[in-house]
Amino acid sequence: MKAFMRFAQSNRWIWTAIGVVILWVILSAVSGRWSLSTLSGIILSASFLTIIALGQMLVVTTGRGNIDLSVSSVLTQSAFLALVVIRGEDGLIWLGLLAATGLGVMVGLVNAALVIWLRIPAIIATLATGYILASVALFTNAWNFGPRVVAPGLKWLASGKVAGVPIFALVTLALVVATALMLGHSVYGARLSAIGQSRAAARLAGVPVNKVLTMAFVASSVLAALMGTVLGAYVGGAFLEMGQPYLLQSVAAVVLGGTLINGGQGTALGTWFAAILLILMVTIMQIMGLPRGTQDMVQGVVVILVLALAARSPARRGAKAAPAQP
Amino acid sequence: MAAADQSSPPPSAAPIVSLRGICKTYGATRANDQIDLDIAAGEIIGLVGGNGAGKSTLMKVLCGVVPATSGSILLDGHLAPDAHDSGAAQSHGIRMVHQELSLCTNLTVAENFYVEAPGAATLRPGWRDPYRARAAAALEIVFPDHGIHPDARVGDLTLGERQMVEIARAAATPGVRLIILDEPTSSLSAKRSAQLIAFVQKRAAAGLAFIFISHKLKEIIEIATSVVLLRNARKVWNGKSHETSVSHLIELMGGQETNARLQLPAQTGSALLHIGKPWSETPLDLCAGQIIVLSGLEGSGQQPFLHALFKGDNGTQRTAPVAFVAGDRQKEGVFPLWDVVSNISIGRLTGRSALGRLDLSAETNAAIAPSDQLRLDKSRLRSPILELSGGNQQKALVARALVSDAPVILLDDPTRGVDIATKQDFYRLLQDLAATGRCIVWHTTEDAELEHAHRVLVFADNRISADLTGSAITPAAVLDASFKAPSKAAEDGGASGRGLLRKLVASLPYLSLALVLMLMFNANPITASAFGLELLLKPAVALVLIVIAQMFIVGGSEIDLGAGAFAALVSVLAATVLPASTPLGLIAIATAVAAYALVGALIQWRQIPAIVVTLGASFIWLGIGFSIQPTPGGTAAEWTQTLIRWKIPGIPTSIILISLFAAIALAINRTPLGVMLRGFGNNAQAMRLSGWSPIRQALIRYTIAGVFAALAGLVLTAVNSASDIRSGDSYTLMSIAAVVMGGAALIGGVISPLGAVVGAVTLTLIGALLGMLSIPSDLNPATQGLLLLAILALRSLAARREDAI
Repeated sequence: MKAFMRFAQSNRWIWTAIGVVILWVILSAVSGRWSLSTLSGIILSASFLTIIALGQMLVVTTGRGNIDLSVSSVLTQSAFLALVVIRGEDGLIWLGLLAATGLGVMVGLVNAALVIWLRIPAIIATLATGYILASVALFTNAWNFGPRVVAPGLKWLASGKVAGVPIFALVTLALVVATALMLGHSVYGARLSAIGQSRAAARLAGVPVNKVLTMAFVASSVLAALMGTVLGAYVGGAFLEMGQPYLLQSVAAVVLGGTLINGGQGTALGTWFAAILLILMVTIMQIMGLPRGTQDMVQGVVVILVLALAARSPARRGAKAAPAQP
Repeated sequence: MAAADQSSPPPSAAPIVSLRGICKTYGATRANDQIDLDIAAGEIIGLVGGNGAGKSTLMKVLCGVVPATSGSILLDGHLAPDAHDSGAAQSHGIRMVHQELSLCTNLTVAENFYVEAPGAATLRPGWRDPYRARAAAALEIVFPDHGIHPDARVGDLTLGERQMVEIARAAATPGVRLIILDEPTSSLSAKRSAQLIAFVQKRAAAGLAFIFISHKLKEIIEIATSVVLLRNARKVWNGKSHETSVSHLIELMGGQETNARLQLPAQTGSALLHIGKPWSETPLDLCAGQIIVLSGLEGSGQQPFLHALFKGDNGTQRTAPVAFVAGDRQKEGVFPLWDVVSNISIGRLTGRSALGRLDLSAETNAAIAPSDQLRLDKSRLRSPILELSGGNQQKALVARALVSDAPVILLDDPTRGVDIATKQDFYRLLQDLAATGRCIVWHTTEDAELEHAHRVLVFADNRISADLTGSAITPAAVLDASFKAPSKAAEDGGASGRGLLRKLVASLPYLSLALVLMLMFNANPITASAFGLELLLKPAVALVLIVIAQMFIVGGSEIDLGAGAFAALVSVLAATVLPASTPLGLIAIATAVAAYALVGALIQWRQIPAIVVTLGASFIWLGIGFSIQPTPGGTAAEWTQTLIRWKIPGIPTSIILISLFAAIALAINRTPLGVMLRGFGNNAQAMRLSGWSPIRQALIRYTIAGVFAALAGLVLTAVNSASDIRSGDSYTLMSIAAVVMGGAALIGGVISPLGAVVGAVTLTLIGALLGMLSIPSDLNPATQGLLLLAILALRSLAARREDAI
């Protein structure tokens, strides 16, 4: 037990993983059958959320209460952009992905510039860029740019399966592993954690603070943009409100997963498990026939409860300090 | 120093406060060890000791800010029935003037007096008058002809003036019996210091007790009736001030008057750092192989100089990489989540590619050599850094600089709060490093450390006033140079010249509104009529109310991402429950407001980020709304509509309503309650020290905001004769935009009700204006976003200009 607690302390994702197992058992009990195909469906839905949440996690880890509120608008706009650029042709998918990346880089750079140069708090800066993108999406939606069809190749990426496993879930898993390695075993990961813990200390320790911040914002926007392309293919087009649910859910996944909301410590695996946990929760409520209102309420309550319960842990850690060192 | 030692009884009967066997430990560090102290009426106790000797901890225990680990505190000779806390200390008349100032800089001088002693406040307009009078009188008593206006914002005062206000405020507190002054003269001019000392002696003669903490030993011996000396967390000497002398005290403090000055080889390598104006008129070179110590009175420019060297700008140039060792470990040194190895190895990352691989075992190996050099226990390398003592944390920070292999090492007072043994390790290490060709630039506040220098740069008034080497380094020479330039720590002169820019930026929201109105009247003259305005402004009323709610939250440096959803929920209640049964509807709405206030209290109680909690809460509000009313609809209760449908001929009702709500918000902001809320937004720590409850203020703040948001919900339903739970989201975003546009600072404490209301009206009108100019309404969000950014950008640029002045 002691060994487990020690493991759990440095691998906070284990809690959400346990949560996933428990909810999965509940789901099997509620639905009355043990089906792997429901699980693969859930993991696919969770994958969309995971991608957004990974970017959000990077921004949250930069500290100072930073949150990227523009992800939902980026996602929506990029879904429209994909329709405009790709026009349903497989040969143009590369261009669509390039355009999405370009959009993400641009938005991320603007967000970073507002935060770093104009010293506008991240929430306000990303709120404002979100506003502006919302307008762009409104225009794109109103614009008659031709048939709104999805390229078969993208459709395959978003909803295809290999040996019963959703392709996109595999892509997501690869990204989760890559992000986890990046956080734990790369120079960038160490620097990101450093600026999240103490920006002053990081600066004096020679960390290029502004560069690290910029990269986090750009990564968040690029991931949201690429996600918009794929999600658009999954739902078969684009619509104005499609990014909306991902705002709270991405923050919720980050917080539930064990990333510190005050920055300095992120966990990719935890974020992934938390995304699955959230989707599982919603699925169970849907199967139980709970109305939409109740589902929203439960999600809100869970986020607040997790935050309130997790809040004490750093203090507790500080309190039981080790015996004095000579 | 046993507790039984009663041989030095205080002059009067029972001391005001007695400390008995006080011990205080922080983790592994022992900050106070078995300290006894009696403070009697009329006494002036000089408390001295080196940095980290335990003075400030002892004072925190005395003021009840931190609980003692063991020992007891007697008030008037009696053991307090309850645990000693800041409330008990306050009501016993103990006041402390802190070194790091505890005034709310966003409040006026008079309002700061109110915060400290709220007893005399009423709800009448003009409630500030007694506090103005009290502030003026208190300042006059301590500092005659002080020249500080009671209505001046504290943030506009100089450091010295703030210190004066703080001292006067403590001295004027009703029922005060003991005042603790922590380095009170450090930011005061000679004239004000003399006034303060005269005041202290006069009041002591009248029975007030003082504890005077200072590093200026001469001053202490002159003022104090008795002196208490702490060293390494223990009380080592206690006696009458005439029984001691400066040299005696220095010796007791561990001044090591060895005089066996180390003969340091004066090596000189290649020049690594070049220094010019403004630091020095003649260019200076700092060379490899030297230990260069920066000295002078505290705050004479040593730290800005170090930071300039680190960045290689502002009159300095460097030809080699530098590493920085911070002395303020908590603020700019350690990474608290990491173990010791990670804290060290971050120093090795400079210049490496972001995607480079981080190999834990390689990092650990690299950390071993410097740890050995520093005598840092290798078995502790994988421990969390916070579990180490202060001295060992500091060793880790030095190790961080060593692993970077930078030839220049900058040290910012690294031995602050570090024990003697560790200090000796440091000194030896620095000499080794210099011998191997590194250039050490070392800012110290301990004069004893001068003896380890090859070269000393003495700072006075942000300039290098002397450059001493070898045998020229004597305490007398350093002291002499420290006072060379007349210190301009004058409390006169100050914030002029920035007024204009600030006013211009402050008027931005009003200018924006004027511009929008002008464009609108121009595009369609009918809008200038009462009818036209009423039509345009009707939708603004609800937004204005939500904006006021958001404004009070922002005033506490929080943001409510659920304000719109909450208003929409109340709107749903008002469209469903209220028309069916008025009492039931009112109860439902009141319950909602209570729930809203509880969310605020939860945020404060658990210290969790408001953004995420309110985002979660918004889902709860939405969920409840959906459950009650899945699709838009409902009806408005008759009486709610009559409340907004009355008319005064010639004036649009909306304008009257908006003005009314703005006036109410303004009034709340001006009452003692509003001042308290703003105080918390600016300096919650200071408010707690003055005895206010943070959770109570959160409840009050969120109740006020909740009531305004609920009113918005009622108005929404009354105007639309229906409700839609989905309408809330856009209101949330607009409310934040309006508050920020209106001039509120997101760091809290600075809010402008008029600006926020004007911002809300502007945002509403922009939509209408775009329609009139036949610009597609799709551009509406973009315009709002751009306007928000433009105003913030201008404000930020103006702030930078102010910094430059």
